[in-house]
Amino acid sequence: MKSTSYSKKVLDHFRNPRNAGTLTGKDIAKGTVGNPVCGDLMEFTLKVKNNRIQDIKFKTFGCGSAVATASMVTELAKGKTLDEALKITRQDVADELDGLPPIKMHCSNLAADALKATIKNYKEKHKEKHKKGKEDKGPSKKEIQGEKEFSGKGVYHKVKEPSSLKDKRILIQDKGKESMELAGALAGYSPRVIFLTEKKSENIPDNLKAKLKKSNVKILYESELIGILGLNEVEKVKIHDLDEDNTYELFVDAVVI
Amino acid sequence: MTVYLDYQSSKPVDPRVVNAMNPYFNETFGNPSSLHSAGDKATEALDKSRSKIAGLIKAEPDEIIFTSGATESNNLALIGYALKNKGKGEYIIISETEHISIHNTAKFLMKSGFEVSKVPVDHYGQVHLNKIRERLTDDTLLVSIGYASNEVGTVQPIKEIGRLCRERGIAFHTDAVAAEGLLSLDVNKDFVDLMTLSSNDIYGPKGLGVLYVRKGIKLMPQIIGGGQENGIRSGTENLPAIAGMARAAEIVMQEREQEAKKLQSFRDRLIKEILENIPRSFLNGHPEKRLPNNAHFRFDGIEGESLLLSLNDKEIAVSTGSACSSKTLEPSHTLIAMGLLHEEAHGSLELSIGRFTKESDIDSVIKALPEVVDRLRKLSPIY
Repeated sequence: MKSTSYSKKVLDHFRNPRNAGTLTGKDIAKGTVGNPVCGDLMEFTLKVKNNRIQDIKFKTFGCGSAVATASMVTELAKGKTLDEALKITRQDVADELDGLPPIKMHCSNLAADALKATIKNYKEKHKEKHKKGKEDKGPSKKEIQGEKEFSGKGVYHKVKEPSSLKDKRILIQDKGKESMELAGALAGYSPRVIFLTEKKSENIPDNLKAKLKKSNVKILYESELIGILGLNEVEKVKIHDLDEDNTYELFVDAVVI
Repeated sequence: MTVYLDYQSSKPVDPRVVNAMNPYFNETFGNPSSLHSAGDKATEALDKSRSKIAGLIKAEPDEIIFTSGATESNNLALIGYALKNKGKGEYIIISETEHISIHNTAKFLMKSGFEVSKVPVDHYGQVHLNKIRERLTDDTLLVSIGYASNEVGTVQPIKEIGRLCRERGIAFHTDAVAAEGLLSLDVNKDFVDLMTLSSNDIYGPKGLGVLYVRKGIKLMPQIIGGGQENGIRSGTENLPAIAGMARAAEIVMQEREQEAKKLQSFRDRLIKEILENIPRSFLNGHPEKRLPNNAHFRFDGIEGESLLLSLNDKEIAVSTGSACSSKTLEPSHTLIAMGLLHEEAHGSLELSIGRFTKESDIDSVIKALPEVVDRLRKLSPIY
């Protein structure tokens, strides 16, 4: 079956999603599941009254079935008590949509999981309202595989003249404010600058993020550089995604550490 | 009527080609191997067709081997050459952005004891000569680099790569499917030893491919039988398809320049207006060294399958490099090799145009796209 052979109901929810958007105000619980790297990310916001889901909204980055399942789960959950809503399964969502293509049953059927995460989030928030969030770790001092081998061959510890890296794909590691400024300066010469940080998005001030976005610097949050690979010079890097705990390769020409 | 902007995936057969094929179904239906006059007529048609197709790439007729398609041609080039010439070495060099039929064939050869090295590409998807040179060893057997990317349309420096291989005495194969019918191909000027072509990619019927094999290059046959095609590829020749491809090649030789000019002006309009009208949109592939029929984009914050479905609702047929539209659920290896992150590769859109594309088709997609992108971005938690 082709990935795009969707039922009429899936297509209807894709074309006319129910409850799309974000709820704001106080006493709103938020939950996110998935990862844009895998191609699916879902975000739910809930408003609960007397232990019942009074309102729910979603946002999705993903394929047709990702949008449709998120839309369907909001319809199923609305009006239910939290415990009832926790019982909604992936299969329930798929059944209500008159089925999903087999290949999509796992990858793009995150909606029930995302709802569960949001409810758990809500319950925890109400149990320990003032518990402080986890602190970010400082930048790690671990040795990076290949750092010495490629020193001067694509690995730089200092960049005096940003134009010297013209047209290269550059990965720059977070070393504080100076490295952020350098990232912005490099973006003036290179079509591709990636700023890698172990911090979470919410721990970087919005004005700095906006500045980087404006100069087309791509930020990778909660990520750790673990290896540099190539033949005679840097060709790619290995990155550890701390949030998802997986590693992947990214093709670059230069690394600034 | 559907606006078809997916010529890279499949092309309609030119009506002139269909006409040229017609006599070979039940008038001239003999087997070229037969000795009677019906067989002679078939042989005559086969020889004429072979000459026309050879002319398209400035080859000699007996250097043209017919196969069942580009995938078989790529298999025959890599496996056939590697097995026949084992003694010369065991290293095979391909690029990170080759067609899947090259990648998987190379993987197969690795399992059979050969070594494969993949040349990286730059941000625009281009291979650099020094990256190939530094990979060449004394036991390098074969280099295989596609003429142009079937996905992002970036054209490779084929002549320079061919010259380098010729100087070093290494065989050079190029899969020219994405470029045929659009660029002028010349196996001699480009120092090519093996070249893959497909019939459908020049508006001929499907199920027919060609492998150009330079005189003196030896291959181990992969399909064994009655010894057709100089013993390299057995099986009774698919004469209707071959006559069709010959007609298609003729049309290309007469009309290519004019057609490429038209396509290029459509392409440039697509690129200009889409980048202008849609914020945070980017062009994938090389800004200049690209095929005249290809416009490839990436939009921040949205996913390609959703984009494809939304455009399909507006009766516009396109392609995407997103994982969600593929059988393997992996994003396009070409976009990843160019340095895109997975989430960026998911948000890509490929528009490929062709012989029957009209100005109004370009208008339709330029009009529809901003609205579709906007709707999906409003749904997106990461835009």
